[in-house]
Amino acid sequence: MPKRSVEDMITAEGLSKRYGDKTAVDNVSFTVRPGLVTGFLGPNGAGKSTTMRMIVGLDRPSAGTVTINGAPYSKLKSPLSEVGVLLDAKAVHTGRSARNHLRAMAATHGIPSARVDEVIDIAGIGSVAGKRAGGFSLGMGQRLGIAAALLGDPHTLILDEPVNGLDPEGVRWVRQFVRHAASEGRTVLLSSHLMSEMSQTADHVIVLGRGKVLADAPLPALVRAWTTARVHVRSPRAAELADAVSGREVEVVSSDQFTLDVTGLPASRIGDIAAERGIAVHELTPTSGSLEDAYLALTGDAVEYRNRAVPQDAAQQAAQPTPEEVRA
Amino acid sequence: MTAIQARATHVHTSSSHVSFGRQLRSELIKLLSVRGTWWSVAIVAVLTIGVAVLFAANLPTGMGNPIMVIVSPVQFTMLLAGILGVISVTGEYSTGMIRSTLTANPVRGGVLAAKAAVLGAFLFVISLVIFLVATVIVMPILASNGTPFDLADPSATILPILAASASMALFALLGVGIGFLLRSGAGAIAVTVGIIFVLPVILTLLSAFLPDLTWLIDAADYLPASVAPAAILPDENQPISAPVAWLTLGAWAAAALAAGWAVLRTRDA
Repeated sequence: MPKRSVEDMITAEGLSKRYGDKTAVDNVSFTVRPGLVTGFLGPNGAGKSTTMRMIVGLDRPSAGTVTINGAPYSKLKSPLSEVGVLLDAKAVHTGRSARNHLRAMAATHGIPSARVDEVIDIAGIGSVAGKRAGGFSLGMGQRLGIAAALLGDPHTLILDEPVNGLDPEGVRWVRQFVRHAASEGRTVLLSSHLMSEMSQTADHVIVLGRGKVLADAPLPALVRAWTTARVHVRSPRAAELADAVSGREVEVVSSDQFTLDVTGLPASRIGDIAAERGIAVHELTPTSGSLEDAYLALTGDAVEYRNRAVPQDAAQQAAQPTPEEVRA
Repeated sequence: MTAIQARATHVHTSSSHVSFGRQLRSELIKLLSVRGTWWSVAIVAVLTIGVAVLFAANLPTGMGNPIMVIVSPVQFTMLLAGILGVISVTGEYSTGMIRSTLTANPVRGGVLAAKAAVLGAFLFVISLVIFLVATVIVMPILASNGTPFDLADPSATILPILAASASMALFALLGVGIGFLLRSGAGAIAVTVGIIFVLPVILTLLSAFLPDLTWLIDAADYLPASVAPAAILPDENQPISAPVAWLTLGAWAAAALAAGWAVLRTRDA
């Protein structure tokens, strides 16, 4: 590892977790950087939650290390103000009210009760704060977990499935919240199985499968590397156009006599070729792959996961955070 | 439902960090904010005062130290102290709260120490209050029976009450240790009941059938429920002396906490 600043970074090196002869996490290395939302993607049982639990010291790695800001979690002087953790909605005593839960958490760090009131307000659980957490819906429990994660105003957020069970408004709020946190230079690691949500939220994606890192790349680079961009063309003289655009590296698929799907040529080039020959074009739609396509391509092979490196130069180019949706 | 907003913090939390005092405060908030605690306190109060009144009203004249009517209910309430210790831990495991606790303070020894200290102190104070209330209630009953407390003699009043309160605290620590050791509420309660109530019966039965095994009879004297009376109301008829009784009771609590700590520090939460 190059000796760069470890400020607000999560760094895993050779992290493994075995339960008996089952390997949940297998020699995983990655870095989660500040100023970005890093998404943890993977099918159920891929090792996302286990990895997150090892990051915060709940599970002991069988091998390897994981550090936050250069230190293992257990060495942090002020865990709640360095790391906000949402592991699952069920990390609350069911017999205790939401407010008392937050008060007890805050008390460990001497966090003032005004901050408890503030996170209750931020998470929108004011109306149920006096009620026992055992009666909460999944969404309310999730909001309480998020409120607890925010107590110490942490520099790093680790959120396991934060939008699980939330209503659309809550989903949108979490997205805006983590984008805003990243724009302030905070480190955000979140997992989600909702592909569309992840594609709207994450800058960088780490894909886990069977406990291994399958991909670790900026989201646009990942999508580019694992999906194919094609151009959907409709023309009354489709067959003629197909002949005109055909060539090496160009693949043309025709589903009926008026439509073509062209891979390997940009839409502009197809339009130019059509114009040169006076062929009328009724539709010319470039379609790029989605994160979901890329994800399925990565993890789809059930027998053995394939591994394909994302080009490193592309990875570095796209490492800048996108400022969209930063405004709450 | 209230709309949730995304905005930065206004309350400064920069001076916050973990300390043992703050952990004690957190554990106290946790203990006082669940109903199980107050149910246990209520049952201890009812049992203590009820048994004390019953004994006081039927105390045969010439019975040694009348303070025994106040402290003898410990023989029942020690179990509640142990169970409260157990559920303060196993409740965290069954609900997942332990993960919040351990992420707020990843130093596991500190978590165990804070919980044990709060449980012990709480049981001591609560028991002391209940014993004092019971004393005030039975005073007129005993006086009318002609067996009043000897208020001039601390060993006939406040000392046994303090000792009984301290032994309640030690039984709570025994429960805390067993809770961390076993994590499951049902299992830990069963073991606590076993050590406090069942083991003495089994050893008594065994020694009745196997009178040659004198070590068994001796061992029975060192069970927590057997040493508690010797610690609270020392007298020459007890098989072991008060200092040995305290040492034994303390050793039980210490052993349980050490076993709990060994599990807590090594196992995944």
